[in-house]
Amino acid sequence: MLAIQLAITGLQTGALYALTAVGFSLIFGSTRIFHFAHGATFVIAAYLFYWVYGTGWGLVPGVLAATLGAVLFGLVLDRLVYVPIQRHEGSFFTVFVASFGVGIAVQNVIGMIFGRGFTSVSTPLSRSAEIIPGVYVSPLAWIAMLCTALLLGALHFFLRRTHTGTALRALADDPELVRTFGLNPRRIAATAFVVGSALVVPAAIITSATTGLNPTIGHHVMLISLAATIVGGIGSISGTMLAGLLLGLAESLALLVVDSQWTEAVTFAILFAFIIIRPSGLLGRIAAH
Amino acid sequence: MTKVFTIMGALAACVCYTMPAAAADHTVGALFPLSGPNAVYGDVFMAGSDLAVEHINADHMLSGPMAIAYEDSQGLPQPAVVGMTKLVNVTGVPYTLSAFTGVSKAISTLAMRNSVIAVNGGGVGPDLADLGDYFWNVIPLANLEVRAAVPYLVDTLGLKKIALIYVDDPLGQALKDELETEMPKAGGELVDSFSVPTSAQQFSGVAAQVRATGADAVYVASYGNQQLQIVKQLRDNGVDAQIATYSGYAVPDALALPESEGMIITGQSVDFSREDPVTKRFVHDFKAKYDRDPTAYNVNYYNATLLYGILAAALEADGTAITGEALLAKRRATKSFDLVGGTVSFQDNGTLLFPIEVKQIKGGRAEAVTSVSFN
Repeated sequence: MLAIQLAITGLQTGALYALTAVGFSLIFGSTRIFHFAHGATFVIAAYLFYWVYGTGWGLVPGVLAATLGAVLFGLVLDRLVYVPIQRHEGSFFTVFVASFGVGIAVQNVIGMIFGRGFTSVSTPLSRSAEIIPGVYVSPLAWIAMLCTALLLGALHFFLRRTHTGTALRALADDPELVRTFGLNPRRIAATAFVVGSALVVPAAIITSATTGLNPTIGHHVMLISLAATIVGGIGSISGTMLAGLLLGLAESLALLVVDSQWTEAVTFAILFAFIIIRPSGLLGRIAAH
Repeated sequence: MTKVFTIMGALAACVCYTMPAAAADHTVGALFPLSGPNAVYGDVFMAGSDLAVEHINADHMLSGPMAIAYEDSQGLPQPAVVGMTKLVNVTGVPYTLSAFTGVSKAISTLAMRNSVIAVNGGGVGPDLADLGDYFWNVIPLANLEVRAAVPYLVDTLGLKKIALIYVDDPLGQALKDELETEMPKAGGELVDSFSVPTSAQQFSGVAAQVRATGADAVYVASYGNQQLQIVKQLRDNGVDAQIATYSGYAVPDALALPESEGMIITGQSVDFSREDPVTKRFVHDFKAKYDRDPTAYNVNYYNATLLYGILAAALEADGTAITGEALLAKRRATKSFDLVGGTVSFQDNGTLLFPIEVKQIKGGRAEAVTSVSFN
C-alpha cells in the first residue's frame, strides 16, 4: 500500500514539476536565455494568488492576478533586462548573472512585502481522503494531474498546429532563418516568455495550498526545472514533461529504499546519470531531428 | 565626475546609516538569521535584544551608549563563522549573542580562541552545554524539553508509540538521541525516525511513511519554515496522530497555522505576571513597543543583552577593562542575576535552568497544561 501511496504522491509532485519545467524549457529552448528568474515568476504568481484569494476576492480573480503578474514579469524582464544585455554584449553568462540577480531581488522584495515566514492558502481541497484502505489522495492531487494533462496537451497543440507555435520551434532551430521569413525573433521570444511564464501559474497556485510558500521557494523550483530540462533533453518539451514526472516519481518512490534525507539526492543522481550516459536527455536527439 | 561623487556620497551615507554600532561606546555582537528561510526568528530575537539596549541606555547603566552590531547568520554555520570572524577581528566585540544549535557550535571555537563571550538564547541542542567557558546559554536545552514532553505523552495521554521526523543537523540528531533514551524509560517506544535535509520542502512522502508506522504521536524536530511545512503536510496527507514538538515552534506564524491546533509543544516557563521590577518593565514596554505579548525567545535575548549591561556596569564600577575574560570572571563571581522571570543563577557549565512547561496549542495560543522543574 505504501508503494501505491508513494506513486500517487510522486505523480502529483511530478505533474507540478512538469508544468514548471516545461515553462523554463520552452523559454530556454526557444531563446537560449538561461532564465534563472523562472523561479521568481513562480514566487510572484504564488504570492499574488495568495494575496488576492486571501483578501476574499475569490478563486477566479486570484488566478487572473497570478497569471497577469507572472506574464508581465516575464515580459518586462525580457524587455528591460535580457534584450538590452543581448543587444550590447549577448554573453550567455551575463544574462545568467542578471537573471540570477533578479531572482534574488524578487525574493527579498516578496519577503519585505509578505514577510519571510511561512504562508499557505487554506482550503479543504488540500485535505486528503482515503480512496482505498491506506491510500490517501487530496482533491488537489487530481486537479494537479488534470491541469498538467490539459495544459501540456494545449501546449502541444499550440506548438504543432499554430503559426506562432511553429515560429517558436523555428526560433529554437535557427533565428536567422526566422528573420529570413520576415518574422521578428524578438516578438517570438516575447511569446515564449508569455507562454512559459503562464505555465508556472497552476503549479504556483497548487503549491500555495499544498506545500505552502516562503520567499525562497523559487530556488527549489528552478533547480527542478533545470534538472528536468537537462534530463528531458534541452529543447524537447515532451522530454521535459516526461522528465518532470520521472523526477517527481523517483523522489517519492525513493522513500521505499532510502532514507527521506536522500530523496533530493535522487533527483541529482538521475541528472548526473543522464549527463554521463545520455547527455542529449530522454528525447533530446529525437527533438533535434 | 559629479555623478561619481554623488554615487560615492550616497554610498558613504548608506554605510554611515547602517553602522550605528560604530558610534557606541559599548558594542556587542549578534549572529541572527536575518535572511533566508529562518529569518522569521531573527525578527523575534531582535525584538528582545533591541528592547534591552533601549532600557540599558535609558537607565545610563553604562558609561556610554550601548549598541548591537548585527551580522546575518542565515541560521547556517558557514555564514555565521564569517560574521563571527568580522565581529571578533573587525568590530572587536567582547560579547556576542548567538542562536541556533549548528551556528552556536560553529562559532564557539572562535569565541573560545579569542576569549569572546557567546551567549545563546535560541538554540536548544543539548551539547551546547559543553562548548567551553566562553559559551553561555540563557535558555534551557532540548534534553530537558524532551524529558518533560515524553512522560506527558506516554503517561498522561497514553501515546505509547511515537514516530520522529527530524532535521538532519546537530539539533535534530540531539533530539533523536534524547528520544531514543527517554522513550523506553517512560514505557513507550520510538517506532521509527525519518531524517529530512534542512532544505527539504516536500513531505507528503514522509507523511505516508509516518502513517504506515501506525504511531500514536509524531514528534517533529525541525525549525524555521520547514517545521510548519511538515505539520501542514502531515495533516493534509491524512496523519491524524497527535503532533508534538519543542520550543522552536513557539513563533507567531507557527501558532497561527490552522494545522497546529491541538499540538503539544514544550518550552521554558516564564511567569510574565511576576511583580518584580525587571519582569514588569519588560512586559509593559514590550507590549507598548511591539503591540503583542512577548514569547520566551524575546525574554531570552532581552536577558542575554541585559546580562551584558549588568556585568559591564559592575566591571566599570571596579575600574576593570571590559574584556571577555573579565566578563567571564565577573559572571562567576556573581551569585545571581535579576532578569526577566526572576532571580536566576548559572550552573557551572554556563547554562541557566528554567522549569519546562508542556503546552497545547488552542486557538492560536499555547496554553500550559503542566510544568516540570529540574532544579
